[in-house]
Amino acid sequence: MSTLAVSAPAERRFGIGAIVLIIVGLFVLLTLAAIAFGSTWIPLETVAQVILGGGEKTEKLVVWQLRMPRVMAAAIAGAAIAFSGYLLQRITRNELASPGVLGVVDGAALGVVLFLAIFSNESNALTVSVAWQPLAAAIGALTAISLVFILSGRQSSSAIRLLLFGIAIAAVAKALTTVFMLIGPVYQTAQAARWLAGAVNAISWSEIQIMAICLVPTVLLAAWLAKDLPPADLDDVSSRSIGLNLPVYRIAVFFVAAMLTSIAVAFVGGVGFLGLIAPHLARLLVGRARFAGILASCLIGAMMLIGADLLVRVAFTPLEVPAGTVTAIVGAPYFLFLLMRKDKTNG
Amino acid sequence: MADLVPSRIEVRDLTLTYGHDTVLDALNLPIPRGKVTVLAGPNGCGKSTLLRAIRRLHTGQKGQILLDNVDIASLGAKDLARQIGLLAQNPSAPPDMTVEELVRLGRYPHQAMLQPWSERDGAAVNRAMDGTGVTGLKTRRIGSLSGGQLQRAWIAMVLAQETDVICLDEPVNHLDMAHQLDCLDLVLKLNQEDGRTIVLVLHDLNLAARYADQLVFVHEGRVRALGQPEELMKPELLAEVFEVDAAIMTDPVHGRPICIPRGRARAAVQEVA
Repeated sequence: MSTLAVSAPAERRFGIGAIVLIIVGLFVLLTLAAIAFGSTWIPLETVAQVILGGGEKTEKLVVWQLRMPRVMAAAIAGAAIAFSGYLLQRITRNELASPGVLGVVDGAALGVVLFLAIFSNESNALTVSVAWQPLAAAIGALTAISLVFILSGRQSSSAIRLLLFGIAIAAVAKALTTVFMLIGPVYQTAQAARWLAGAVNAISWSEIQIMAICLVPTVLLAAWLAKDLPPADLDDVSSRSIGLNLPVYRIAVFFVAAMLTSIAVAFVGGVGFLGLIAPHLARLLVGRARFAGILASCLIGAMMLIGADLLVRVAFTPLEVPAGTVTAIVGAPYFLFLLMRKDKTNG
Repeated sequence: MADLVPSRIEVRDLTLTYGHDTVLDALNLPIPRGKVTVLAGPNGCGKSTLLRAIRRLHTGQKGQILLDNVDIASLGAKDLARQIGLLAQNPSAPPDMTVEELVRLGRYPHQAMLQPWSERDGAAVNRAMDGTGVTGLKTRRIGSLSGGQLQRAWIAMVLAQETDVICLDEPVNHLDMAHQLDCLDLVLKLNQEDGRTIVLVLHDLNLAARYADQLVFVHEGRVRALGQPEELMKPELLAEVFEVDAAIMTDPVHGRPICIPRGRARAAVQEVA
């Protein structure tokens, strides 16, 4: 029997459990480091102490009020976007699928910019609660992904067609966002500008709270849906003939993925690129295992956003460069690499 | 024949249109229990569409498919998948999926929310892999298999589904001669040893005539003729359905009818009826 000369995949050499543990370890270290870094260095053990309830008053203040929110926000949002990307890549059976490519990120951005334009007054304050912002993002995101589906029509089962329509819709949403930024009465320009590139610097605990509350049911629903991902790995006819209602299932997964991304980007802005890369790296590391893959995707996504935010704080201080810019700069070459590689999986 | 054996499946007035194209036109077809039914016909005659329609895979198909006198439209997706299995024409799975993973997917319709993987599922998977000879390949990845191995792995997946009716859409396409016979012999064994009802779409008319209990000629979205291969392998009928001028002989090895279509460029050396 001929064996192809392929190096053994990582998950076979080390075991999935060990790889996931290493990723968890790296995640914890990076999180602590991200809290430690800033205008003043706080030693890692002090950070750990404060988190566990100890520490002095000033240290507590810096850790809990200044640094923790942005690290938490980056972790939660990064994980949610990566989870969304994981679902999209599996359901489309295409490793180039991501919330950004399918128009979800730009749709959400448009939703938020319109929300800020409509509900701001002259004194730069929102006339309604900021809690509605994720709803606006979700409406924008769902509108975008629905349009992608409606336009691709009967061809929506073809991953390539879907991606092409997604890219087109994303471009339109992006253009409209820019137009509204320029001509619309957006008083909270700073808040809206955060959108165009993505940043976690201005986030508050109350915003994190809203994000978490919205994400919990969505993540539970996504995890429940994930149990049917393996039959959906097959072609349409095969997956349906083993009893999966694929058309309905596919729409459910797209909906949940759009929700995950829109909730996250409602607060941290357009950081879509990690939704492409994190699940892809996770798949390289842990292979096809579903829950390990989801966990690894989420942790890698969290680390990427925490890392990007850390980088802009350390390297560009006192300028606040949006973290989304960093993820895009790192992500774009990787995207090109994926595109140029010999295409093996697309049918 | 259809009078003696009660039909497992009755296709009644099956119509399917795509836009202005009528792919299946009020088609009727009995599929006898425990027999091998082979659907044959020229390209685009609707035979693959008919096979998928029997498994209710088309949206907007009109008419009835009766499975033991029950309209399958009343069955749930998983219910139906426990009764009729189907191997697609060009099935595809991720190249990094292992053979065992693929075969285990055949148990999907047998699993429910609060009913995880059971011993019965494991036994069915092992039986399916043994029966198709892929047990030794179970840790191999789909992308590393040869065409024949791949086809056996897919058949194993359909077998693990443990359905009484098995539909296979051109299962021997892209296989060399030896693997074509391996594959069809395996299917015949399922029929003869387990009494399963088999519905096959085959392109090769001589293979169809060799393996069919009931041969069906599908032409322009309708059943043009059905019966035993001897009844259907007639020059006039082949001329009408397949547009070939063919000589019919009896295969001296299997005693089944075979056809030899007359070429237009190469002159015949001997006149046969």
